[in-house]
Amino acid sequence: MTILKLYGDPIATCTRRVATVLYEAKVPFELIFVDRVNNAHKTPEYLEKQPFGQIPYIDDDGFILFETRAICRYIAAKYPECKLIPTDLKKNALFEQAASIELNDFDFFAAPTVYEVRSKPRRGLQTDQAVIDANLAALDKKLDGYNAMLGKQKYLAGDEITLADLFHLPHAPILEVHAKSDIMVRKPNVARWYKDLLTRPSWLAYEG
Amino acid sequence: MPFKIYGFPPSTCTRRVALVCKELNVPYELIPVSIPKGEHKAPEYLKRQPFGVVPAIDDDGFTMFESRPVARYLVAKYGKGSTLVPDPKDIIATAKFEQAVSVENNHFDEPAGELFLQLVIKPMRGLPKDEERVKTLLATLNSKLDVYEMVLAKQPYLGGDILTLADLFHLPWLYGLTEKAKLDLVTSRPNVARWYQEISSRPAWQAVKDGA
Repeated sequence: MTILKLYGDPIATCTRRVATVLYEAKVPFELIFVDRVNNAHKTPEYLEKQPFGQIPYIDDDGFILFETRAICRYIAAKYPECKLIPTDLKKNALFEQAASIELNDFDFFAAPTVYEVRSKPRRGLQTDQAVIDANLAALDKKLDGYNAMLGKQKYLAGDEITLADLFHLPHAPILEVHAKSDIMVRKPNVARWYKDLLTRPSWLAYEG
Repeated sequence: MPFKIYGFPPSTCTRRVALVCKELNVPYELIPVSIPKGEHKAPEYLKRQPFGVVPAIDDDGFTMFESRPVARYLVAKYGKGSTLVPDPKDIIATAKFEQAVSVENNHFDEPAGELFLQLVIKPMRGLPKDEERVKTLLATLNSKLDVYEMVLAKQPYLGGDILTLADLFHLPWLYGLTEKAKLDLVTSRPNVARWYQEISSRPAWQAVKDGA
């Protein structure tokens, strides 16, 4: 058995999303740098593995998989002792509900904001403040929904942490640090949940 | 007690849930939540769905929302023997399914939905199209469907050899863009066309395509 290879970039948020879950599940891995500045992710050889030309993807002893959340789910399924996806019918349904909320209600607005405040400056591109403002305003409304849910339970799927909570980690702190927004701490239940996530050893361990 | 869907019959996400009910022969009661009347933002509905969107479901007291998770729940609870979601014990088939589901939600849903808004909804409401935005969305969606064309040349369905929810989740927007907006995104790509023809002709979709 060869060590799991994660093809990505240590500074990229999607790579970090996978790395955090690998740490949670205590799975050793090798991070292989994909040089996007020199379009290493657009070569024919790369596109054979990840046809959308994005990072990351994994090679787990010959099994190739892309889409960060699919990779994280695969890790959680392969190493069920990490208990990041519940198996009980109703708890699993509420986990899926939470994972869908993360993607469609949080990341839908957080991802474009992160692109504006972090990715564009790194590439010497001009930030569009109007895009940031519009996305943060929309996200603020969605976080009212989060605040209501997190008033009744500790984490987004229930009282135990799941992948759905961890999925927020790469983008949420960037809103605080790079977008200089207090959006994650404005509402009391969201703030409590967010600060708890930031103390996860798997988040702190990854220095990339 | 019948499975209850709190939804708006023409809504994409409401039809997505109704489709899976039909696939699994799960009878349902549709309790109307009128979007034009703003009923999805009323306090009683927000207790059911705190983000104020449709649908939400009530299965004999178990309540949840988000159309794709509801679909997964339906298969888990009522789909004994169904292959719409792979057996979780098959970790590889499950991973490929999750990859395909993620592709639909991450790559397809957003540009498809916004394109439908620009080309069909806005004209219906007498609002002007944003031509520049339409051009960008078409370019994005075309580039994504080029990848689909390549993938579907090698395998019959997006998750592999078996039809799954990952394929069916595409139906509401693909139907809207192909049959209402009259785009040739599908028809111009032989493998995508073959795949769309097959999934859209399923009786379950035919039953709900114009309203849950």
